[in-house]
Amino acid sequence: MTILDVLTIPKDDAIAFTFFTGYMAMLAASIFFFFERSRVSDKWKLSLLVSALITFIAAVHYYYMRDYYLATGENPTSLRYIDWTLTVPLMCVEFYLLTKAAGAKKSLLWKLILASVWMLVAGYIGEAFNPEGGSSTHSVLWGVLSTVGYVYILYAAWFGEVAQLAQKSDSAVVKQGVRTLAWFVLVGWAIYPIGYMCMPGGWLNTAFGWGSENVDLFYNIADAINKIGFGLVVYNIAITSTKSSQPAAA
Amino acid sequence: MTRATFIFIAAVLLFLPITSEFQEIEIGHQLMVCLPFILLLGIPHGAIDNVLFLKKTDGRNLEFIGIYLIVAGINLAAWLFFPVLAYVAFLVLSAYHFGQSQFVHYFTEINGPHKVLHLTWGIALLSGLIFFNLNEVRSIVAEYEDFMFFDRVHQELIIRSVFISSLLLSLLLMIFFAWKKEWQFESLLIEFINLSLILCCFYLMPFIVGFTLYFVILHSIKVMREEYEYLNVLGIISSIRGFLILLTPFSLLSFLGIALLFIGIHFDLIPWSYGYCLMIVISSITLPHAIVMNRFYNNEA
Repeated sequence: MTILDVLTIPKDDAIAFTFFTGYMAMLAASIFFFFERSRVSDKWKLSLLVSALITFIAAVHYYYMRDYYLATGENPTSLRYIDWTLTVPLMCVEFYLLTKAAGAKKSLLWKLILASVWMLVAGYIGEAFNPEGGSSTHSVLWGVLSTVGYVYILYAAWFGEVAQLAQKSDSAVVKQGVRTLAWFVLVGWAIYPIGYMCMPGGWLNTAFGWGSENVDLFYNIADAINKIGFGLVVYNIAITSTKSSQPAAA
Repeated sequence: MTRATFIFIAAVLLFLPITSEFQEIEIGHQLMVCLPFILLLGIPHGAIDNVLFLKKTDGRNLEFIGIYLIVAGINLAAWLFFPVLAYVAFLVLSAYHFGQSQFVHYFTEINGPHKVLHLTWGIALLSGLIFFNLNEVRSIVAEYEDFMFFDRVHQELIIRSVFISSLLLSLLLMIFFAWKKEWQFESLLIEFINLSLILCCFYLMPFIVGFTLYFVILHSIKVMREEYEYLNVLGIISSIRGFLILLTPFSLLSFLGIALLFIGIHFDLIPWSYGYCLMIVISSITLPHAIVMNRFYNNEA
C-alpha cells in the first residue's frame, strides 16, 4: 500500500504540491546528470557524479518528507536537515572540483565543508530546539551563528579563494560558471533564512505572522532552485568545456 | 559585487535579526551606538576634500578653506532665514550625492539620464528612509521645538508620492541602461539587491541604525576607498597609514568644531537643540563636500 492509497493531496495545499514536484524534479535531475556523465570528458565526470548525488540524496529525502507531511501536516525538520547536512557540503565540493585545475588545495575543501556544516548545525539547533511557542532570542542567536557560516561561503565564492582561483583558471567557462554558482549562493541560498525566520519566534513570524506553513514552501522552492540549478550550471561548464576541447570535425 | 556591497549584505544579515530582537530602540540609544561610526567613518570621508579640490587647481589650502567657509556660511544663513527651503535643498543635494557615489563607477560616460538616475535613486533612498520611519521621525520632530517646521515637509502623502515615483523612475532607468548595454546585467542585479536591502533595512530597522548601516558601509567606506585609490595612483600616498594621516587634520577640526558648538548649546550660548545644530552642521559640511565630489567624479569619469 502506498501513502496515496490512504491520503490525498488537497487541491489548495501548495506545500504538498511542491513536495511532490520537488521529489520528481530531483529524481529526474539525478537521472539526467548520471546519464550525461558519459558525454563529458573524464575530468568532469566526478563533478557530474556529485551533481547527481546531490539531487538523488534530496530526492530520497523528499520521498520521505512528502509522506511525512501528508500524514502529519507538520514540518519534517529533522529529515530536511539530514538532507542538507549531506547535500550542502557536496555543493561546496563542487566549488573545489571546479577550481581544482587552477590549484585549489584540500584545505579549501575542508574550510568550505566546515563552514557549511557550521551553518547547518546552528540552523538545526535554532529550528529543532526552539522552545514551545517559539523564542525569538533562541531563534536570533542560532540564526546569527548560522549566518556566520553562510557569510564565509559567500565571501569565498565572491572574493575569497574560490573566486581568486576561478580568476586564475585558463577556462572562461569555469570563470563564468563559478560566478554563476556564486550568484546561487547569494540569491538562492538567501531563500533559506526566509523560511527559518517564519518559524515561531522568528521575526517574520512575529512581524508578519508568517507561520510554519510558509517555512516548507520557501524551503521546497529554494531546494529545487539551488540543487537542480547548481547541477545544471556544473553540467553546462562540463559540456561546454568538453565540446571546446574536442578537435573540430574535418 | 563590490566589497562594500558584500560587507553591507553581511552586516544586514547579521544585524537585522539582532535589531528585531530589541523591538523599539530609543533614539538616544540608537545614537549611542551609531554616532561613533558616523563620526569615525562618515566625517573622515569628506576630510580630504581640500586635497581632491586642489589637485585640479593652482589654489592653496587657505583659499580652499575660505571658499569652504563661505559656502557653509551661505548654507547657515539659509537655515536661519529659510529653514524649510534649506532643509529640502539639503535633502535634494544629499540625494544627488548619494546616487552619484553609488553609480558613477559603472558608466564610462555620464550624461543627462545618468544624472537623473543619481538624483532619483538618492531621492528614493531618502524619501524611503523618512516614509518607512515616519512615526519615529515625527516623534523626534515633536520633541524639539526648532524641528517643528519639518512637519510641513513630512506629510505622508507627499513623502509616499515622492518615494514611489522616484523609486519607479530609478528602476526604469536602471533597466533602460541595461537594455542599452551601458552596464552589465550583473551590475543591474547587484543594484537591485542593494536597493532592496537598503529599503528593507529602512523598513525593518530603527531609523538611525538603518541609515547608519547604509551611510557608513555603502557610502563612506566606498568613497574613502575611491579616494585612496585615486591618491595612490597619483603617488600622493602609498599606504593606508599615509591615507589616515591625510584624513586626520580636517577630521579633528570637524570634531573640534562640533564639540565647540555643543558646548555653546550646553551653556545656552546657542539657541538650538543638539539635533537641530547637528543637522545644520551636517548640511553645511555636505554642501561643499558634494560640490567637490561632483568635480572629482566628473574628472574621474
